[in-house]
Amino acid sequence: MKAAKNYLLISLISLIILASLHLLVFQRQDHMSSALLFWEFQVPRLLSAILAGAGLSLSGLLMQNIFQNPMAGPYVLGVNSGASLFIALVILGGGPILLSQLSLVSAAMLGAFLAAGLMFYISTKVSSLQSLLVIGLMFASFTGAIESVLQTLAAPEQVKQLFIWNMGSLQQLSAAQAPWLSTLVCVGILGSLLMVKALNALVIGEFQAKQLGIQVQWVRFFVLLLTALLAGSITAYCGPIAFVGLAVPNLARALLKTQDHLPLILFSVIVGALFLVVVDVLILLLDPWMSLPVNVLTAVLGAPYVAYLMLKRQ
Amino acid sequence: MIRFKNVQVGYTQVLLEVEDLALDSGRLYALIGRNGSGKSTLLKSVIGQLPLLGGHLDIGKHSIDQLIKDHVQRAREIAYVASMFNGIEALTLYQYVALGRSPYLGALGRLQPADQNKITEVIARLDLTRLASKPTPELSDGERQLGSLARAIVQDTPLMVLDEPASFLDYFNRELLLDQLQSWIQADSRRTAIFSSHDIDLCLEKQIPLLILSNKKLVFLEKASKEKVMELLRQS
Repeated sequence: MKAAKNYLLISLISLIILASLHLLVFQRQDHMSSALLFWEFQVPRLLSAILAGAGLSLSGLLMQNIFQNPMAGPYVLGVNSGASLFIALVILGGGPILLSQLSLVSAAMLGAFLAAGLMFYISTKVSSLQSLLVIGLMFASFTGAIESVLQTLAAPEQVKQLFIWNMGSLQQLSAAQAPWLSTLVCVGILGSLLMVKALNALVIGEFQAKQLGIQVQWVRFFVLLLTALLAGSITAYCGPIAFVGLAVPNLARALLKTQDHLPLILFSVIVGALFLVVVDVLILLLDPWMSLPVNVLTAVLGAPYVAYLMLKRQ
Repeated sequence: MIRFKNVQVGYTQVLLEVEDLALDSGRLYALIGRNGSGKSTLLKSVIGQLPLLGGHLDIGKHSIDQLIKDHVQRAREIAYVASMFNGIEALTLYQYVALGRSPYLGALGRLQPADQNKITEVIARLDLTRLASKPTPELSDGERQLGSLARAIVQDTPLMVLDEPASFLDYFNRELLLDQLQSWIQADSRRTAIFSSHDIDLCLEKQIPLLILSNKKLVFLEKASKEKVMELLRQS
């Protein structure tokens, strides 16, 4: 427990330092100093890195718990794909009324929730980890194909809008939208904290959790709802961001050596935020030479770690 | 006291019936039956994971129907041990045992000092103290099974149900598990335990009263000879 506290403290301090660095790097690069630019561009960008990182790694932790599978996550299990598909439907196929910001977010959440529910249903039918991951992959290909079909039918301007969204970006969040995303992520964190006891019991399986007095069906529904809320809203604002949800909770368990979800939730939230802030600082530093999308860097940093985890499990 | 009255057990068809049977508190019962005779199904009904197809089953002063509806109360009345626990990455033995306190904790799942004392004491009684901080995948089958028993003990229920708890254990660990179970019963006269087993010899040697599944019925034998047991099993 003491080690967990130390890790939490260290990660929190790192997050504060890196967040300050993020603001400094941004300022140096764009030679911006006016208060307006600070509040309109810098703060929303930093906030979206923090919120997306925190929310995605938390939804990964929750999914790994209810799927009882350390390789689960919103991206590999197609929750992002569900959100993407619905976003594509709105951008490419929807009428002008549907194109308001709110409908983009609610469409992403609906898509995320449906995908999460579908994958969960499949996971009760197939028990093997490999099959489930392959099905998640197939689901992603399938939704990708539908998006391609929609693109051929859409106007070039709409296709471009979707393409940019798909690259993942921390610059899309406006100052006016920031409070919305902040609220959603906070609701996700608080909701998860209220389920710590149930999440801890679910570690040893649904059957045993029921015998320990946990209302498993209700908890499962609530977790899927929170996952869709988190992954859906973040995907709507920042695009599909990979590897955060998969890598960070695994790192949390490996470092903290615990299955107590109170420290795991806190650590995943802080380190997830830290991870994306570091990624964005790198993006800002490399900006004079090349302009990298978020997804590229999260993959460069996250994919080797996930591959290492897979190898270690053999 | 566990009371069966015209109980019908099964998923869609009636697999077995228990007409009239009362199991006294303060005792340990062994459930014996051949493969496929419905031992696990009967135990699932007793712990409230499978609704009865008919009849009445009372666990202490609650009916099983009440307990199926009230999850927390059920967890305070009935503890369950499966035949095998494989261990979970990053889950220490202490944390595993501590899960038994879940029905008494708040939503945040924080252990109070009284919970911690209880857990430490039970771990010590089962001689697991030196393993408490080890991750469960690193323990032996026997150590994990004792851990499952410890978890059920800290759950502090009047009834404990164990589904073939010793089937993956060697002779010495089987005996150790049974002895620990018997001393748990003896410590409080309100306690009852039912475990299923194929180890007829050990049950007879320890003079454990037997519940034998024979010909879709449950037969209670206070003291039995091996011949009698075998004869009943052949009928199923």
